[in-house]
Amino acid sequence: MLRYTLKRIIGVLPTLIIVVTFVFFFVRMIPGDPARLVAGEQATLDAVEAVRVQLGLDQPIHVQYLKYVGGLLRGDLGMSLRTKRPVLAEVTARYGNTMALTVASLVWSTIVGVILGVWSGKNRGKWQDFTGMTLAVSGISLPNFWIGFLLIMVFAVKLRWFPTTGTGSWKNLVLPAIALGTSIAAIIARFTRSSIVEVMKEDYIRTARAKGLKEKTVTWGHAFRNSMISVVTVVGLQFGFLLGGSVVTEAVFAYPGLGQLLVESVNYRDYPAIQSLILIFSLQFIIINLIVDILYAVLNPEIKLS
Amino acid sequence: MIGKKKAAGGQLNEKTDIKTPISEMIRKFKKQKNSVIALVFILFLVLLALFGESLAPFKINEYDYSAILQGPSGAHWFGTDEFGRDLFSRIISGTKISLAVGLSAVSVGAVCGTVLGLLGGYYRGIVDAVIMRICDTLFAFPGIILAIAIVAILGSGIGNVVIAVSVFSTPTFARLVRSRTLALKNSVFVQAAKNLGASDARILFRHILPGAVPEIIVQFTMSVGSSILTASSLSFLGMGAQPPTPEWGLLLANGRNYMMTSMHCTVFPGLAIFLTVLSFNILGDGLRDALDPKLTD
Repeated sequence: MLRYTLKRIIGVLPTLIIVVTFVFFFVRMIPGDPARLVAGEQATLDAVEAVRVQLGLDQPIHVQYLKYVGGLLRGDLGMSLRTKRPVLAEVTARYGNTMALTVASLVWSTIVGVILGVWSGKNRGKWQDFTGMTLAVSGISLPNFWIGFLLIMVFAVKLRWFPTTGTGSWKNLVLPAIALGTSIAAIIARFTRSSIVEVMKEDYIRTARAKGLKEKTVTWGHAFRNSMISVVTVVGLQFGFLLGGSVVTEAVFAYPGLGQLLVESVNYRDYPAIQSLILIFSLQFIIINLIVDILYAVLNPEIKLS
Repeated sequence: MIGKKKAAGGQLNEKTDIKTPISEMIRKFKKQKNSVIALVFILFLVLLALFGESLAPFKINEYDYSAILQGPSGAHWFGTDEFGRDLFSRIISGTKISLAVGLSAVSVGAVCGTVLGLLGGYYRGIVDAVIMRICDTLFAFPGIILAIAIVAILGSGIGNVVIAVSVFSTPTFARLVRSRTLALKNSVFVQAAKNLGASDARILFRHILPGAVPEIIVQFTMSVGSSILTASSLSFLGMGAQPPTPEWGLLLANGRNYMMTSMHCTVFPGLAIFLTVLSFNILGDGLRDALDPKLTD
């Protein structure tokens, strides 16, 4: 198990290096002069030169790269051009908010998705299946910003149950989490269903029924337990996508998280911040995929042996 | 693949009994009512995209300050916006943009991904390693984050959104085609073609590619739906289409300023995105089921 884990971690390193390199070249891929873009159209030549020095763009490329990687290893993400504060401080101030939103979305969407998926898969071809899968395909087709607005209009403006924007209490989390989790719940439901449909064909299900177990025990104790491996994989992968989806949802609810910081930074052309945020989003994604891989091996003994 | 079923009179009718994977797929697809309806709806959208602007009751930028933010009525089916522009006409005209963005971006992604997948799967070695490493890297960014990164580099605008979406749909096709290529490379008919002296290009495009086409079609349909969603999300965030373009995501973003008083400004553009994406997803599901040999009828 330890060997497998180590192997996976080492396997991720090349991707990690490529991602860091990509993010480094990010500012340098902007057509035209990035220093001029950052300083603004009307800026004097001196101001542009000052920005160039500030961004470190006046140094040879390999020196810049080494400095950048060195900075990353020390936890230095550079200075935000917009707020004139270290990017790391901006990120840590908002990280908790995005995490709370992501985890809340993942929890409800997993519960709902699994129940809907098992319900549909158990009743394959019947009306329950049709209802469940119609809901699921609708769920993956809904723009999450639209759900967000509809929720605000109904539950915040008309009924006044929840606040429209902001953060602070659990009430602020409810509507954004519903908007963000809907498509994930739908994806989990679809995977769970197809996995249950496969498992229900197995001999051990027939055996379980033949020995007179209750249908509930057959469903959750036998069918669901065995389909859990693929469900865990999907849930894990969705966690990464939730981080990405949070960008749009946070914009709808003016929720002060990493996504909103990214949108503000793009609008302000705050390149050091954009660069760091993209790096953080993809690092999280890589780490989560790694954890899912390892978890998969823990759950599935066949992989451990090979 | 020649069907074993004999035509009347014990003779094998070659014209009707040849079952290609495609004809088999069409036959199974026709049995799925939902998907057929979705396909009809998509064809309707295509017609709207082609002729909608000329059929629309109002011009997309026809200002009418005497009819600002009106709710749905006989004259304005979906109501009007803050300049008195007819929302129904604007949404109809927006069909063209969303379909064009979705179809063109995924087409570019599919062509690039297919070529990369064929090359990687067929030649293996260093070519394959490099291609797969690039794919892994692109997969290391959650979809929309990669798109935002690309738009941040290139600048906002609908053309750059197309580029961004093509880039992130490429690796999906590359992986798919690569695995089909690996599977088909050692098949008897490919070996036969090789022994007959067919060139690599001929083997790749005439013998291996057709075997991957059904999967490519399914992935294509699914990707169009999600690409339309991503593109409208970017426009919504202000990184895609710019005003006064009647792009659906942009209409929705604009409508949010009047959310409290004029719900129709957010409801209808969202509905347009939802129904379009939904029909592509249902079509994709239907095609996938039609392709799945495990689902016997």
